[in-house]
Amino acid sequence: MDRKSLLVIGAGALIRLVLFTAFPSLPTILAQRVEISTPVTSYKRLQEGIYLYTHGVSPYDGGVFHQAPLLLSLFSILPPSTIITNLLYVLADIFSAISLIQIASSGVPTVTPHHVSPRKANSWPPWAIAAAFLFNPFTIATCIARPTIVFTNTIILHSIAAAVNGRRGPAFVSMAMATYLSLYPVLLLPPLLFLTYDSLKATSKPSIQAFSAISMIILSVVLMIYFKLSHLITGSWEFVASTYGVHLLLPDLTPNVGLWWYFFIEMFDSFRAFFLCLFQLHLLIYVPSVCLRLRKQPLFALITLIGISSIFKSYPAIGDTGLYLSLLTLYNHTFSLMRYTFFLAAAILYATFLGPAFYYLWVYAGSGNANFFYAITLVWSISNALIVADAVYATLRDEHETERPELIGKDVVQI
Amino acid sequence: MTPFPSRSHQWLSSSPLDIFTFLLLLLLTVFGNTVVADTYKEKLDLQPLPGQFLLASFNFQSHGPIEAFNKQMFQLFPRSLGQILQYTHTRELHLRFALGRWDSELWGAQPGNGQNAGGTGVETWAWVEADNEAEAEARWTALNNALSGLFCASLNFIDSTRTIRPVMSFKPTGDYSKKDKSRLFLLHGSLPKEPVCTENLTPFLKLLPCKGKSGISTLLDGHKLFDASFQSMSIDVRPICSPHTETCDIEIQQTIDMVLDISRSLQRKDSPVPRPRDQHELICDTSKPYASNEYCYPMDNSVDLPWSLSDLFGRTISGGCPLAINPPEKGDEAPHVCIHAPEKKLKTMQTLELAAPATSQGVQPDLNCYVLKENVPFDISFSKQQPPISPLRQEPLLYAERSFTGHGQEHGGVKTVLRNPDPVDSIGVVYLESLPWFMKPYLHTFKARVLSASDVREEDVILDLYYRPALDRKRGTQLEAKLIVPPNSVVILTYDFEKAVLRYTEYPPDANRGFDVASAIITIPAQRRNSNGGKIPATSIRTTSLLLSLPTPDFSMPYNVIIFTSTIMALAFGSIFNLLVRRFVAVDEVQRVDLKGKVRGLLGRLRKGKTE
Repeated sequence: MDRKSLLVIGAGALIRLVLFTAFPSLPTILAQRVEISTPVTSYKRLQEGIYLYTHGVSPYDGGVFHQAPLLLSLFSILPPSTIITNLLYVLADIFSAISLIQIASSGVPTVTPHHVSPRKANSWPPWAIAAAFLFNPFTIATCIARPTIVFTNTIILHSIAAAVNGRRGPAFVSMAMATYLSLYPVLLLPPLLFLTYDSLKATSKPSIQAFSAISMIILSVVLMIYFKLSHLITGSWEFVASTYGVHLLLPDLTPNVGLWWYFFIEMFDSFRAFFLCLFQLHLLIYVPSVCLRLRKQPLFALITLIGISSIFKSYPAIGDTGLYLSLLTLYNHTFSLMRYTFFLAAAILYATFLGPAFYYLWVYAGSGNANFFYAITLVWSISNALIVADAVYATLRDEHETERPELIGKDVVQI
Repeated sequence: MTPFPSRSHQWLSSSPLDIFTFLLLLLLTVFGNTVVADTYKEKLDLQPLPGQFLLASFNFQSHGPIEAFNKQMFQLFPRSLGQILQYTHTRELHLRFALGRWDSELWGAQPGNGQNAGGTGVETWAWVEADNEAEAEARWTALNNALSGLFCASLNFIDSTRTIRPVMSFKPTGDYSKKDKSRLFLLHGSLPKEPVCTENLTPFLKLLPCKGKSGISTLLDGHKLFDASFQSMSIDVRPICSPHTETCDIEIQQTIDMVLDISRSLQRKDSPVPRPRDQHELICDTSKPYASNEYCYPMDNSVDLPWSLSDLFGRTISGGCPLAINPPEKGDEAPHVCIHAPEKKLKTMQTLELAAPATSQGVQPDLNCYVLKENVPFDISFSKQQPPISPLRQEPLLYAERSFTGHGQEHGGVKTVLRNPDPVDSIGVVYLESLPWFMKPYLHTFKARVLSASDVREEDVILDLYYRPALDRKRGTQLEAKLIVPPNSVVILTYDFEKAVLRYTEYPPDANRGFDVASAIITIPAQRRNSNGGKIPATSIRTTSLLLSLPTPDFSMPYNVIIFTSTIMALAFGSIFNLLVRRFVAVDEVQRVDLKGKVRGLLGRLRKGKTE
């Protein structure tokens, strides 16, 4: 790592520490924001879970705590001090930044075995990508509010960093952990598989089938170990229904930035199961198509799937979007090909500022109703979806220009 | 226990009720020579309370041998209730209907140590005999459904989300053998939103042997009862065994406690339609600086209003209930009506058609008791008193109040203030809360704070905690805490909770009114005072119920939301898949057909068709 990267990491850590110490009530305030904390990540619910767990009540036999058992044991081992907890979250963000620097330094965003971007000179240096992550307001707010999504993000980034360097073991062990913590990273497995395979040295490459089979075995064995450990910790299998069941069946309808909560508040009872299946399948359907079309750039396929799941998963938060936007800066060299940058940036800003205001009008002032906040979540979701689509457009265009360099700078259409 | 033939003095009278009794007795003497009859007692306790209120406590009690009950030979025990209890294997039942708030700051301790009072709405708990928990719950559901029909109350809505299994708060009051006890399951349910009204009183009166036709129950009129500032109806059924004879009885006790606002009742009597008082009826506080002929600050309680039972209840007691009248030859006559007031006040009392004063009269100077005679109406009246005589007030063992803190419809807090007025002794209490599942408390924020002169550590206040977290749509939260309230100090319990958002079909029609949260139940187990070894009787106190407002969705939106959200998803899906499945080509490589070209082509084709 060069000096600039170290400086950026230092500054990022400093901002977080200053925010934690100078505004002691800020973590509590942010932890209660529905945009940041969801029922499956909230720090306050984690505290409740730890309290119940340490007092001999099963936290999974209740409607409050829906997080993985290993988090429980991690936090119950830690001394009950806010400073240490805060440091843990800052450390997690620093590790994320280091992983991003590793990903950027590997050059995979611009050069893959199947594709070399003609714009590779335009890409940002690693320290700038770390800065885009560490100084992203969404990431900072998420770190200060201390939801457990921070750990999932760190682990996903670590997994990607291991994958781009061709280290299969760490990549799949981490992805198993991310899946174990918050279920939806399971969607990232196929692109991760391609990414790791592509990053292997050409001399010792096994066939893709053998490679996938062994990777899947690694993943399932590791997942099994995590589940067995959880079973040992909690003494029963109750946690499966209370964590993954909640992700899948949405019993807690607390508002968040996603599309699910209001849809399932207003859904007719007889259609609830049908639409739950539909919404879950909707997420699943992107995986094969994105992986096939972006086979030449599996890292971008993976980032796109992170973006899609940050919009359409059952309990999304701005922490997911923060992760996606930070990862997207790895493809900064294609940004010049995006079509709606200004419009989308404005829409995101619009939703960011009006969201909290409308939520206040609904829940506290009583002068608005639920439709106010719902409308903002619609704007937020569609602008994020358009960012994903626009980034896909830019990357496909970039790929296309590698194939047909004569079309650089010319107008194209899709047929 | 009274043997049946001794009631023969009643046979001579001619009222229809007595003919009925005669027939009943005849039947019983025909069918069972050895039958020991049920006994029945009823009693009305009147006590003026501070602030021009009158507490009227009605108590109806009947005993009968449990063998007869088990053989479905009901004498005075109501058959309808008895059959329900037998069918559902309920050994002990407690049912409470309550309205209003007992103002302990003003009125003092509750009658009967609060054992007959319930939380606002309907509250019920029972010990059900069963082999396992599932069977007990099935029987509990059957019991509630049957009682729901019997009492015209929504008891059938006591489902698993409203049922708790208290661990420390309730102890059975009946007598059971050890073997039976192990098979009993305690279940408790409450319906804080239930409006208690006349449709619940009528079935209540029907359970009485005299059905409200004679005896003290003639005073119970729905219009008066539900106009009271506080009223509580209770039904308790329990087995009682005598340790000497080893025979068991089944006891049913029905009580009604009501606190009447005397001035309100009198005003209602004068003018059924409420209207402001005339100026000349007002007693003005002339000490106010603005007092003049035009401005009047009404002074309360400057005079004891004159009242009689017929003024307050709209009627007199129409003689004693024949089944509750003891034979004169047996000396220990149980009084039917007692009035408990300062001696000075009792001297101003007049009785109409005086029933026989009870023999116990004179033992206590502040208590007057009367035995009702059959078919002799009974009334008492007090004259106007100025200055007023302050009534008797018994200091309660504990003051309790509970309220919500915080604002907004997202989070909130609950704050319970427990105050022990005793200057010397600390008191042990059990605090029980049963919360609906959509109110999600954070137990890690549960704190006790002590405000006291002496140095008491907060950890010493909470002795024990039992917590059962809520499960969404399956069960509510149960929180039980064993506490010590130090002498002359205040314990403040606080915790935070989160308000869940419900599915739109789960909201009641008046969603913006809010949801009722059942009263907290504070049980003071029987204990001895540390200072002088005096006994503290088992007491229970209910706080008021709370109104929880939840965030509400827009109920007119289901179709719109489905359409909007689906559109957004279709847009996202479309724009991404559009890119994924189509390929790029340069603009000049394809023949683009724009609108103009299309129109021209169409026109050309039309022209062609014309020329042909």
